[in-house]
Amino acid sequence: MTFRFAGRIGSAFVLLALLAAGIARADTASYQFLTSSITFTHLSKAAGTLAVGIDDPALQGFLKLTGATLTWHPGERYVLITSAQPQVISFSVGDRRYDVGQISATASFAPFLVGSEVYLPFEDLMRSLSIAPVRDGSINALVPQLASVDVQGSGAQAVLVAHAGTKLVPRLVSDSPDHVVYELNGIGSDLPGSRSYDAGGIRSIDITSTGSARAPKTILTIAYAPGTRHDTPHSQRGDMEIGFGANGSAPPLTAAAAYASAPSQAVAAAAPVQAPPQQSVQTTPTFAPQPAPVTSPLAEPAASASPAAVGAVDVTPTADGATVTIAVTGNAHFEWHRLRAPDNRFWIDVQGAQLAGAAKDETETDPLASVRVRQIDPQTVRVALSFAGTASVTVSPSATGIAIAVGRNEDVADAPRSGEGSVGSVVSVNEPQTLVTPVPPEDYGQTPADQNAWKFGPAAYIPTNPRLIVIDPGHGGSDRGAVRGSYSEADLNLDFAKRLQAILIARGWQVQMTRTTDVDVFAPNDSAHDELQARVNVANNAGARLFISIHCNSFINSGPTGTTVYYSKPADVPFARQLDRSMAANLGTKDDGIVKSKLYVTLHTNMPAVLIETAFLSNPEDLAKLANPDWRERLVTDVADGIDLYAQQNPVQGANQ
Amino acid sequence: MKATRSVLLVLILAASLAAAWWFFRPQPQSAQGELTVYYAKLDGSSLGQWSVSVRPPQPGEGAAEHLHNTALYAAVQAVAGPPSDVQAVRFPAGTHVLSASVAGPIVTVDLSPEVASQTGGSFAENGEFKGLVYTLTGIPGINAVQITVSGQKMESLPGGHLELDVPLRRSDW
Repeated sequence: MTFRFAGRIGSAFVLLALLAAGIARADTASYQFLTSSITFTHLSKAAGTLAVGIDDPALQGFLKLTGATLTWHPGERYVLITSAQPQVISFSVGDRRYDVGQISATASFAPFLVGSEVYLPFEDLMRSLSIAPVRDGSINALVPQLASVDVQGSGAQAVLVAHAGTKLVPRLVSDSPDHVVYELNGIGSDLPGSRSYDAGGIRSIDITSTGSARAPKTILTIAYAPGTRHDTPHSQRGDMEIGFGANGSAPPLTAAAAYASAPSQAVAAAAPVQAPPQQSVQTTPTFAPQPAPVTSPLAEPAASASPAAVGAVDVTPTADGATVTIAVTGNAHFEWHRLRAPDNRFWIDVQGAQLAGAAKDETETDPLASVRVRQIDPQTVRVALSFAGTASVTVSPSATGIAIAVGRNEDVADAPRSGEGSVGSVVSVNEPQTLVTPVPPEDYGQTPADQNAWKFGPAAYIPTNPRLIVIDPGHGGSDRGAVRGSYSEADLNLDFAKRLQAILIARGWQVQMTRTTDVDVFAPNDSAHDELQARVNVANNAGARLFISIHCNSFINSGPTGTTVYYSKPADVPFARQLDRSMAANLGTKDDGIVKSKLYVTLHTNMPAVLIETAFLSNPEDLAKLANPDWRERLVTDVADGIDLYAQQNPVQGANQ
Repeated sequence: MKATRSVLLVLILAASLAAAWWFFRPQPQSAQGELTVYYAKLDGSSLGQWSVSVRPPQPGEGAAEHLHNTALYAAVQAVAGPPSDVQAVRFPAGTHVLSASVAGPIVTVDLSPEVASQTGGSFAENGEFKGLVYTLTGIPGINAVQITVSGQKMESLPGGHLELDVPLRRSDW
């Protein structure tokens, strides 16, 4: 009885709320969109305009047709739609403001909930997607609009880029020495009619619309100086791009990297279709930097003011294994990681902390093998443990700091491999916010202290075989890697590796290959992890001096080019830098330098390791080099030279080389 | 008659109080935050960026929910990338954010399965996740990003190179 009464009261409130908001139910509505007819069924009305529910199958199908995706979960406020351009359109339940990319606008009404379904303002949503709802006689239609036309570049080369509410398929109408005309069927436009330019030979662009409201055509007339060459239109994610070259120079290729930072001369810079009069479109000032509200979690201090202190690190045997206690005074955040079995190593970083005592490096008894304590950077103390065998680890804050319970011979296959927590009252500690990964200094990674800071287990890596180099031809077998035409990365990588192997052996090195034929190293169709770990195991188990993984790069377009040396650990840096120098001298590819990344094989190998991306299969000039056996021989000769130089400059202590 | 007047008086008083509450109820802060969204440039090492505004907390939106909403918004922006005429390293076409959740300083971003359709080189994979991680760790309170694909942790993407089953941080680049 009570529940029934409460239900009636609740229903009454919902009804009153809907009436107060001017929301009323609506029936179905059909629209013509391109060649499809779409019937929306989850409709309502608010503020005199249509509202559409995001669970409406027709809306979901329509978004799919336009290449848009929608992100929302029950209980969330934001409804986020990513258009094909891409632009993120952000609606918020109960808030009339919505954002389209960097443009903020006010909707005709605030999105609202009916049950668990969010209803969005139909017209505002469509216009955000560069779609105009029109009525032509008795027929409703959703007509894609030309959203923007930009000319990017300056000087002799430029690219015309156009966006619309659907994929642009231009039809060439005429092509003459001083202008070209394209017709965009089914696309409407209310962009300005004409704009002058001076880039890539382009003089002006005229935009005119013809046809009916339901079946418009937009005509683009691009006038240019005599002698200007232009490419045929091509598409990237549904837009239209045409390259222009002045004075007979070649037009640039699709998405050429040269235009990444070039000035833009925009007719309408990626803005939504003209906002209706009742909308208040705000531009730049809205996005000027402003302090976050004091009450916002964004403004909370992220770290304690004074650093914590890490004192004694003690090991106490227990019946099942041992307990490692880390004394911490003050507030600090910690995070821990362990490597995957059978690599029995673990470390914990206490952040925002100073090491109060001396650094420690001690051998321990079973189940521990060693305990090491270091200040690895001005704000972080690392305690690294290695275990005698498989061991479980349980980390928890204690009254005096952090307690680590180590259990002997436990099955850890499914155990967590990382975690975090805090001692004191600190919630989190932010890392320094660096925009661009800094290039490490010349001596980065060369000092024993740096190596100790990164690696754990042995204080500094000493190869058991200082004349052994492990070469890893990337991919192979069931994993072809990147493929272009008849060239596969798996085959090219193996060719590079065999050539390098021959040179190194001739120079007196021992070489072990992770594969010598076109096979998977672990097993056919294995997981990426098993495959990568198998390659790491070859090097670690052999106690090799150096590890080199050879790959070919690739991208979705032909823009990126060059040779890159990837690394992960500080100990890799001198080796990576030497190889980069050796290869940069006479390869003829762009030197993309050394790049740090969390690549599995360079991260988990014990010795200095690099992954060389020799050149881009996706770039025609790079591909021509990759296809040339002489160039491949030159590259591996440079790599061998780099190895020799590195070995001379970084001798293994105590080893007979 | 007197009773009717009293009832009317009470109703008018109640209506006045309701009106007063309506006009003087707590309003959301007008101040706005700004979020920097990063993307990897085609030189393979540097990052480009653009800014979007972050809504202030809405009425009834607690700090944790606001942080979640901000992280979700940031993830969607970063995965979408800049407009297509900007030269950028992009996630494979169709990749989108299925959900984002915040636990302590780690945000878990669940990506759609299209993310597995990598081009094969380190270049794209490295740049995609670098931009995403830099964007999300720019939110105070977040310092690491755990990637999942269709709700599942992946050790590496198929044919990929990055270790993805542990949270990614800025210091990984």
